[in-house]
Amino acid sequence: MIRHHPDDSLLLAHAGSSLDTGAALLVESHLEGCLRCRQIVQGFERVGGQLLEVESEQALAQGALEAVLARLDAPVRVPPPPVVRPKPSLPAGYNWPRALRHCHLSRWRAVGPGMRWSRVTVPHDPQANVLLLRIGAGKCLPRHTHTGTELTQVLCGSFDDGRAVFGPGDFDEADTTILHQPVVQAQGECICLAAVDGRLVFDSWIARLASSVVGL
Amino acid sequence: MDAADPLLDNMPPDPPGAGPSRPHLRLVVPTSPPDDAERDQLDDWMVAVATRHDREAFASLFKHFAPRLKGWLWKTGSASEEAEELTQDAFVLLWRKAVQFNPERANVGAWLFTIARNLRIDRRRAIHDTWTTLDDMEVQGVVDGGDGQEVQLSRRQYDERVRAAMLRLTPDQRTLVQLSFYEDMSHSRIAAQLKMPLGTVKTRLRSAASCLRNLLEECRP
Repeated sequence: MIRHHPDDSLLLAHAGSSLDTGAALLVESHLEGCLRCRQIVQGFERVGGQLLEVESEQALAQGALEAVLARLDAPVRVPPPPVVRPKPSLPAGYNWPRALRHCHLSRWRAVGPGMRWSRVTVPHDPQANVLLLRIGAGKCLPRHTHTGTELTQVLCGSFDDGRAVFGPGDFDEADTTILHQPVVQAQGECICLAAVDGRLVFDSWIARLASSVVGL
Repeated sequence: MDAADPLLDNMPPDPPGAGPSRPHLRLVVPTSPPDDAERDQLDDWMVAVATRHDREAFASLFKHFAPRLKGWLWKTGSASEEAEELTQDAFVLLWRKAVQFNPERANVGAWLFTIARNLRIDRRRAIHDTWTTLDDMEVQGVVDGGDGQEVQLSRRQYDERVRAAMLRLTPDQRTLVQLSFYEDMSHSRIAAQLKMPLGTVKTRLRSAASCLRNLLEECRP
């Protein structure tokens, strides 16, 4: 059961397609598994439809209607076969969100005891700071805060960061006001998709060193 | 809304090549939505397209919605040429996907809005299987009723209340909701445009979005 959802303003921005790359990827991943949020987004899309209804008009190019009519019966364009991008392994029973299908995921790399990460490269925006974290059962991330916003979508496993327990399908938004130390629960490893706007600021020098390697 | 509203003095800049300067934001405030007779007519046309591949009905829908759609795409971030292309593409898709249209659930305007929005997103992302992703999108957008609550309330009533919900927002909230439909208006960009701290913008956006969601949920029985 999903207990933590994106904030309404994120869902609204998703409906209006005004999210930046990392946030869009995270919200899309959440929506794939969350009927509640999809329904909220649909409500916001109705609002979009109404803005359209009362929109001031702009004339189309001459012959636009004829051009469209001529295309109606054209054979459906067959899309090129999807590029299969190799993805790192996931525990049995879990699949990568569809939202990641166009992204390049690097192999898992160790960044500390029981801690691995993978860089997610979004083809249309390679600067977007998106990554996967894979943390072993009972392990914890070093305590940190953020210079910007950190969005997290739990793909499998669960963690407790002192504020709440986050499980599969849960979404979290942490900002500069939150200093937390996510601890993965003992039952199994935890894999999260994270988008970081700004940098993570760690308490300890060893974590700072590790983060500079990862590029956070 | 009056001219002293600080939110209105900070419009997003026109993108290069956007053509004539954008109309003032207040123009997107609902002023003259179609009346019931017009709505019935729009529905009838859409049903005729969906069930009979009626080209005349399609042309009527195009004449009604295409200039609005182009206007909306242009105002929310597309250059004029792109707005034209996306509008034409959206109508080709509307024709091809028409069979998925369910008048009980969807309304033509919202449907067209999601088609055009997704086309623009895919174009930005240089995704070439647009037509495939749209297959998914349409199925989700139209059929995703979950517990079927919405069916109990007629689509017409729901639309009416969505309109009422927008009017019940404060002018500031309405402006922020509208800005959320501008392409690339991320929270940090809105903050920069409005010369407000990011935290303030986030707080206000949260409250506006929650308010809107609550009003929309009240619409559901």
